[in-house]
Amino acid sequence: MPMILFLLLLVCFWVSGFGILTLFRIRLKPAYMVTLSLLLGVAVASFVPFVLQLLYITITGPTVFGALALVALLLNIPSFLRMRHSGLAVFLQPFRPVRFRVRLYEVPYWLVLGFLIFVSVWRCYYWPPTSRDALSGPETIAEYTVREQTMINSFFRLDLWSTNNQFKSPFLISLQVIYKLAGFPFGQVWLCVVFISFTVFLYHALRERLHPVLAGLLSLLFMMAPEIYAYTFMILYDYSNMVFFCLGLYFLYQGLAGGGFAGTGSPPGASSAGSVARLHAARPGAPAMIFFAGLLLGIATYIRSETLVLVVLFLPVIFWVQWRMAVRGGSAVARGMGTVASGLMGNAGEGGAGRGGDGMKVQGGAVLKKMALTGLFFLLPSLVGYYLPVQLYINHYLPVHYDIGALLNNNLSDWHPLLQRYGDIVSKLLFGSFSIHLWGYLFYIACALFVAELVFVRRFTREACFWLYAVVVVYLALGFMGFALPMFNLTETTKRAIFKIVPLLLFYLANNELVLRLSRWISGWEVAGGKNLAVGAVAGGGEKAVTPKVAPAAGKVGGAKARGKTGTGGNSGTGGKVGSGGGSKKKNRKK
Amino acid sequence: MEFMKGFLLTLVSCALVLVVLNAGYYKEWFDGKPRQYWFDFLKEKDDPGDEVAIKTARYGVVYTISMRVKEVVEKKNMPHAIILFEPNSYYRDSLHIYNNVRAPEPAVFYYYTGLEGVWTNSPDVRKANFIVRITKNKGVTLDEIKSPGQLQQILESFKKYPPIL
Repeated sequence: MPMILFLLLLVCFWVSGFGILTLFRIRLKPAYMVTLSLLLGVAVASFVPFVLQLLYITITGPTVFGALALVALLLNIPSFLRMRHSGLAVFLQPFRPVRFRVRLYEVPYWLVLGFLIFVSVWRCYYWPPTSRDALSGPETIAEYTVREQTMINSFFRLDLWSTNNQFKSPFLISLQVIYKLAGFPFGQVWLCVVFISFTVFLYHALRERLHPVLAGLLSLLFMMAPEIYAYTFMILYDYSNMVFFCLGLYFLYQGLAGGGFAGTGSPPGASSAGSVARLHAARPGAPAMIFFAGLLLGIATYIRSETLVLVVLFLPVIFWVQWRMAVRGGSAVARGMGTVASGLMGNAGEGGAGRGGDGMKVQGGAVLKKMALTGLFFLLPSLVGYYLPVQLYINHYLPVHYDIGALLNNNLSDWHPLLQRYGDIVSKLLFGSFSIHLWGYLFYIACALFVAELVFVRRFTREACFWLYAVVVVYLALGFMGFALPMFNLTETTKRAIFKIVPLLLFYLANNELVLRLSRWISGWEVAGGKNLAVGAVAGGGEKAVTPKVAPAAGKVGGAKARGKTGTGGNSGTGGKVGSGGGSKKKNRKK
Repeated sequence: MEFMKGFLLTLVSCALVLVVLNAGYYKEWFDGKPRQYWFDFLKEKDDPGDEVAIKTARYGVVYTISMRVKEVVEKKNMPHAIILFEPNSYYRDSLHIYNNVRAPEPAVFYYYTGLEGVWTNSPDVRKANFIVRITKNKGVTLDEIKSPGQLQQILESFKKYPPIL
């Protein structure tokens, strides 16, 4: 019975998630559609018992599962409406199997990743929740919610002097309640859905940019970060927070870049080897993509409230891109915010060349209004994600109160602890022997490649800049939060918050020019033969770049003369001399 | 030719996987964690055990102590038992058994047993009517606190041991 309910819940998640993707008019490759749908479905489910509680509805099997089904249906109303015109294709087309070539050289990675996933899933299923933070708060609340049918239960009558975990997000409680009601005594298996979906998503996203040999290697390094791996079978907030934060930034970049890695530089569908957003709505859909990113970041904020600070720090990026587009002629702005980043955020130079471009000049007031609206819609989900659990629930529902103000450092004028904290994060958590026990050698590898890119290439692609900015923002914000909130300690809270940096590093590495060159070199060798080992011979080196069909469109694939300066137009804005980066078209014109 | 290249790249992938799995701390971690988990799985799949057995194996001695307390309370039929725990710093600094034995947090104790527990510095400590004592010789005992005076005496004796996790 639990297994049947587990599968039904999966279907429910998938339907809910699909509904959200449809609302945002997002159509991606099936691998992304499925994984994103499931992740969004988990997020939706995590609101359901919480909202029932907010409405004072008893939390029982029928109410929870009924509400889950109802939400799934409600979210799909637009799809149902469209079904009148298109029939079942509305649901089936996004998942239509696309040609997916399994290459033998991916198999070794899949085997190891599969092994690690299997072991994690088993432990998640077999063992009860272990972490102290879960047991002294959400897990116990969930257990007694199932027994007493309310999230405000006898747990709050206890002496809770030693813990503040009862004030943490209802995300964990809700999901635990759902799975306990489904017959899993330890709940927890929802984490497998998050873990597997994200792993598949990440692998595919990396493969968009890199040759599968390198994408597999990066995925393996990510999976073998010991601390992160441990939290794939130990429920807590940080892994899920990392997942939604990373996805939020990923789609923010997509939105800023105009709808897809490869989308803006080349006609949609034409050699867009790396186009995650294989969208009918690639360009016009991009504002939706920014708002979708906002939604994902809102979920991340709901999971861990301090994420709000990080989300706010990405507003300048959005504003900067919009402002730059307005200055550059504003054609993209006039078309909608979606293409604001053409040429700015790392694509094939179209917008980059466009000072005084082809569009009409946009009024300053209109630009400011659009900036404000975009910022508002981007930020709104995070504000809601913060308000509901922190302000509304804690202050107006829980019988015990939490004075966050009392936790603030009351000596903010003394900056020594701040500097100390920044130093400690670097010396104790990011580098040094303890860090190796946490993340393996990932930070060392990333650092070495960063320095190498700095020294040998001496510039970064715009996409790499975006990911580096994200890493720096998280680092600075974590240091500051540790300084402002002494409870945000180094070895627990900050350590787990660093999870958020790790996938960002992977995306940076996937856009590191040296890694990209290596990727293209492998792709070129694979496609064109040993005599044409031109650096930059094949665009991007990503998944489709190695196929003969795509390769010619990617600009003289394998041509010995390519020498890496060929504008590829293919895989997505790699920038620099090679590939299709910002300005590559300009270079080609010069040639 | 294409197959040959694919094969060579497969060898490269295998080599990279092996390098990662055998590199420095990765090897230590992989052998100690995922590989060990695999061997655990081989045992666990054949002997799934019941919920309590799994919890006992997972939570260790703290869970065992808690369940023992629960057993005694149920046996004595005391529905309003509020259990006082000795501070963990007492186990650390006086008995030197902190590495092996710990008093559970009240919230965690409630999760394990459904019973209310308090620490010596809890606001509700005055309500405690039982105390769990752990000694090297006698092991774990559950003693009744018969009067407020006795409770006061107990609290005085632990004054120099602040509760810690």
